[in-house]
Amino acid sequence: MWHDGCPRLAAVNGHARAAGLRPHMRLADARALLPDLVTTAGEPQADRRLIETLANWCDRYTPWVAIDPLGSAIAEEGTEACSAGGFGGDAGLLLDVTGCTHLFGTGEAGERALLTDLTQRLSRHDFSCRAAMADTAGAAWALARFAERQTDLFCPRHGQRAALATLPVEGLRLDAPILETFLKLGLRRIGDLYPMPRAPLARRFGDQPLARLDQALGTLAEPIEPRRPPPAFRTRLAFAEPIGRPEDIAAATSRLLAALCRQFEQAGVGARKLEIALYRVDGSVDRTSIGTSRPNRDNPKLMKLFEEKLGELDAGFGVELMILGAPEVEAWDGTQDALPDQNAPAVPAGIDGTIDLADRLALRLGTANVVRLLPRDSHLPERVQVAVSVGTKPAATGAWARVAGLKGARPTRLLQRPEPVDVMAPVPDDPPRHFSWRQHKHRIVRAEGPERIADEWWRPRPDGSRPPAGGVPLVRDYYRVEDDDGGRFWLFRDGAYKVAANGQPTARWFLHGFCA
Amino acid sequence: MPVISPHAFAPSAANDLAAGVPLGLREKVRRLERAHSAQRGGRAASVALGMPAIDALLPEGGLLTGALHEIEAGPAPSGRVASHDGAALGFAGHIVGRFARQAGGTILWCRRPTGTFDAPPYAPTLSAWFDPARVLMVTAQRDADLFWAMEEGLRCPGIAVVLGETRAADPTAGRRLSLAAEKSGIPALLLRTQPAPPQSVCATRWRIASAPSHSTPGLSDVGAARWRLELRRNRFGTPSAAEIPSWLVEWNDETHCLSVVSQTLDGSSSAYWPESDTARLVG
Repeated sequence: MWHDGCPRLAAVNGHARAAGLRPHMRLADARALLPDLVTTAGEPQADRRLIETLANWCDRYTPWVAIDPLGSAIAEEGTEACSAGGFGGDAGLLLDVTGCTHLFGTGEAGERALLTDLTQRLSRHDFSCRAAMADTAGAAWALARFAERQTDLFCPRHGQRAALATLPVEGLRLDAPILETFLKLGLRRIGDLYPMPRAPLARRFGDQPLARLDQALGTLAEPIEPRRPPPAFRTRLAFAEPIGRPEDIAAATSRLLAALCRQFEQAGVGARKLEIALYRVDGSVDRTSIGTSRPNRDNPKLMKLFEEKLGELDAGFGVELMILGAPEVEAWDGTQDALPDQNAPAVPAGIDGTIDLADRLALRLGTANVVRLLPRDSHLPERVQVAVSVGTKPAATGAWARVAGLKGARPTRLLQRPEPVDVMAPVPDDPPRHFSWRQHKHRIVRAEGPERIADEWWRPRPDGSRPPAGGVPLVRDYYRVEDDDGGRFWLFRDGAYKVAANGQPTARWFLHGFCA
Repeated sequence: MPVISPHAFAPSAANDLAAGVPLGLREKVRRLERAHSAQRGGRAASVALGMPAIDALLPEGGLLTGALHEIEAGPAPSGRVASHDGAALGFAGHIVGRFARQAGGTILWCRRPTGTFDAPPYAPTLSAWFDPARVLMVTAQRDADLFWAMEEGLRCPGIAVVLGETRAADPTAGRRLSLAAEKSGIPALLLRTQPAPPQSVCATRWRIASAPSHSTPGLSDVGAARWRLELRRNRFGTPSAAEIPSWLVEWNDETHCLSVVSQTLDGSSSAYWPESDTARLVG
């Protein structure tokens, strides 16, 4: 129940519906019809969460699970969507089980077994539910809500035309005004629409009734949009008894992985990402995933990656079903190259394993923390070194030496951001005599420089701005200095000297690196 | 890959005592000491530093491959703690380059950022010692993760050398790294910004401080980088005359080699050479 100027009904149960109550009815009207009506406050967000949990749970049957857009309107703040068909609040799930029923039996028997399994399991969790199976989503929607006999819930192949004929016209998922007109005109059953001429119907009511009818009958396609992209490769393992021990889960994972790797081999692909889902007996689902930096279908190596992650999974009261899917696959090139080496003797292929090492490290430390370094042509020292992911093609042999050869002497460590230092320089263009950094004063004995590095005016700054076209570009004058202790530093003066208000020249000095 | 057998090493002058002992017996003693065997996994037992004066003190004429070596940034000659470890990083780069040249594969470089003043190693400079394209750079936020990553690297046959940068040393981690290195024959280096407690386990421990460079006469330019090098621990090595052997070394950026600077020719004082007549075993 929620407020829209006045309290209204959000959802009604079977008895209330029999008494003539409908969702979206004013509470006052409902009370007039049924004085001893029992109501509780509606919680659309909680309903939404519950239906999402159920949708997760339904992933056990098929990866193509969608929340019925009409039923899910319960979560929307507005009440308008709820009026569709007059049955808002009846949340629904749409499952496309094409190609999934063979797991429960062959042919029609398998389809019936899946349906029975679904309703039985849901009732075991104290959900009152009705599930129907038909060739089209529209027909199944109508049957689940309006079929009168239990046996009608299963619609045999190509039987939707006959099955729908006797159902009320509400089963077509029509907008409320159209539905009202239909009822006024005496079109009460879906079958009443079959003999109607199509052109006048479309002129009178617009495209919706015909489109809905065609979708229900299967002459117009109605794709189901899955909640998460279904993996192209997927294996499942159901257990007769729930399992809970970590060793059992690991053993099951290894079996699933072996089956999946066989699928990979047949398709000539390797996994970039694998996701394992544990369906627990209490209806909740726990998932974890691993990623590899290049296509992989090596069972032991993938298993090793999984071993790191399986510890995070919680079996809860027991796991009754496990599904392993590969959401990301890539064509497999058949090699696991080593990182490049220069003039050293080649390590025999296959025993290298650097890539696997990188995958293991990235899994625990994060992909951003396991990187390779690439040189970049730039004058600015901090731009020369780029960190890229391990999967990227490495720099050519000697590329780094070439980059280093073009520049002057550089520090061994470069501060991520230059640190301001206080200096004492006797002559404006000379290197400083002293500088202090972090409360340490360094007396400079030897110095080299300046090496002028100008701003790269052709490139946008990190903040997106470009240097002013007419103005003086930012320049840095770098000095390599050595203090009386032998410590070598890389200092720079930001820009040219300016004359301050008191007539003294000023400049800002920075420490940018430490030399060997 | 050439396998350097113990025969290849002529006993050095300091090694005269050991020369009479049969080779088989020496290998047996080494195994008892769980030190290293002469050849392991196709890798040579040791890699020379390229400075004969220092290599003579080291076992097998160089740094052992299947072992942990520690490099720490030491205080400057004046006793002041240096504000950075640029020199220690340079020496580590030299050793990494030596190991990487001897064995092909990836260089695993693990580091823990030091917070606000984080200064990562700068690859263009490091290319003087090795090709940074071979580096796999790993950043860990905790010491536990850092040592774990190093250990994983030491088990991977495609890795040439593992280097870890951290602030302080953990004796347990040092022991584990030593064992992993011994098992696989992959050298492990630990670069520390702080001096270690003496009980930590490693084959050699070096303390590096930057030393004043030598300017061109008449000018005050910055000369070739010079480091004060101390060998503070030398397990399995030859005892030296000094309690802590110490050298002044210079990195030549053009010939790409490290050489010991003769103290007398340099004209500096001999204060760095503690006078000691008694030979003592270090380590």
